[in-house]
Amino acid sequence: MDLLERYLQAVGQYLQVKGKEDTLAELRANLLAEMEGREEELGRPLNEAEVSSVLEQHGRPVIVASRYLPQHFLIGPGLFPLYWYTLVKSFPLVVLAYAVAQAANFIFGGRNVDIGAAIGHFPYVAFTFWGVVTLGFAVFEYGQGRYFQQIKLEKAWNPRELPDRTEPKGPSFASRVADLIVSVLMLSWLIAVPDHPYLVLGPGASLQKLSFGLTPAWHVLYWQIVRLLLLTLPLKAAALFAGEKWRRGLELATKGIGILILAVMVQARSYLVPLREGSNLPSLANLAQVNYSLNLAFKIALAVCVIKFLWDLWEAVTRSRGNARSFVRVF
Amino acid sequence: MTVELPNDLFDSLRMELRRGCLILAVLAQLRAEHYGYTLRKALADQGLEIEESTLYPLLRRLETQGLLTSEWREEEKRNKRFYRLSAEGRAILDRLLAEWNGINESLHRILKNEKEG
Repeated sequence: MDLLERYLQAVGQYLQVKGKEDTLAELRANLLAEMEGREEELGRPLNEAEVSSVLEQHGRPVIVASRYLPQHFLIGPGLFPLYWYTLVKSFPLVVLAYAVAQAANFIFGGRNVDIGAAIGHFPYVAFTFWGVVTLGFAVFEYGQGRYFQQIKLEKAWNPRELPDRTEPKGPSFASRVADLIVSVLMLSWLIAVPDHPYLVLGPGASLQKLSFGLTPAWHVLYWQIVRLLLLTLPLKAAALFAGEKWRRGLELATKGIGILILAVMVQARSYLVPLREGSNLPSLANLAQVNYSLNLAFKIALAVCVIKFLWDLWEAVTRSRGNARSFVRVF
Repeated sequence: MTVELPNDLFDSLRMELRRGCLILAVLAQLRAEHYGYTLRKALADQGLEIEESTLYPLLRRLETQGLLTSEWREEEKRNKRFYRLSAEGRAILDRLLAEWNGINESLHRILKNEKEG
C-alpha cells in the first residue's frame, strides 16, 4: 500500500492545513474500500499495476485536491491549487529577499537603522506580492478559453511516478541525545568561563592588555542566561522519552526559553566598555558602534526567532486540531 | 445534413446538466446512511455513475452546507465516515424534488409539442 500512501501524500501537498488530516483519512478509507471491492470481484489481492490503475482512475493529485478546496470565483478550481502552491512556496523567498534587501540597506546605505519601521513595512510588501500573484492568475484564468486555449491536464497519468513517501520531519532520538549532551557541555563551559577566561580568550587571557571589557550589567545578564539555559536541560531530557505530541510541546517550550535568552541580550543595549587609557584603546565612538551593532544583531535574531516560534506554534495548533477531528486512524 | 458538435461544448453542457442532478441523487440516496464507497456503488447500481473524485468532495461540501451529517464509525475492522441526510437536508430535498418534477413535466410537454408540431 506504499503507492496509496504516496498518492495521499501527493494529494495532501495541495490541501489546506485545516482539515487536511481528516480529508486524507476519509480518502484513504474510501480508496481502500474501492480496492477491496475490486479484490472481491477478482477473488484475489490486487497487484501493484491494479492498485496503480485504481489511483490513476481516481485522478491526478492536484485535480483531486482542488475539488476539496473552497470554491473561488476569481480563480477557478482547475488553477487554484497551482495558485495556492505558488503563494505558499514563494512566500518564504519574499521574506528572505526583503530581509536581505533591508540588511544591505543597513550595511551599505549608511542610514540610521530602524528595525521597527522595517518590520512594520513588511505587511505592505507581502500584500503587494499577494496582489500581483493573484492578479496574474486571475488574468490567466480569464484569458483561458477566450484568448488562448484552455490548459487541460492529460487524464492519463502514472501513479507509479509519484515521489516516495517522506516521513514527518523531526529530530531522531540520536540527534536529540546529542543535542542534550552538547547543551550540557555548553552550559558547563559557560559556567566555567568567569573563573577561566582562557576558555574564551585563549592565550590572550594571560596578556592582560585588553583595553575593553564587559559592562557591569553582564553580572546580572550572565546569571539570567545561565538560569534560562539550565531550565532547558530538563525539558530536553524529558523530550527524549515523551510521545510525539508532548515532545513537540517540550521543543516549543525550549524554543520559547531561547527567545527569552535573546530578549535578555537585547535588553542589555551595552555590552563592552573601555577598561583603561592607552594607545591601544579603541575610540569611544568605535566601541559605541560595536555595542550598537551587537544590539542590532541580537534584535534581528530575536525577530527571526519570534516569527519562527509563532509559525511553529500555529502549525502545532493546526495539527492538533486536525488530529482531534480525525482522531480515528484508518490503520 | 449532420452538424458536427465541438466536444468541449458538449462536455461542458453535459457537466452542467449533470451537476444539479447529482446533488439531487446524492441527497435522495442518503435518506439511508452510507459511506463514500457504498454510496457510489448504490448510485451506480441504479444507473448513475459518478466519479469518486467528484462524489467525495461533494459529500464534504453538502455537509458544510448543513444538508448532511457525518460520523466516523468502525465497520469491518476499519473506520469509515458515514453520511446521512440532516433534517435541513430532508426539507431541502423535498423542495428540490418538487422543483425537479415541475421542470421534468414542463420539459416533457415541450418535447411532446415539438413532436406533434
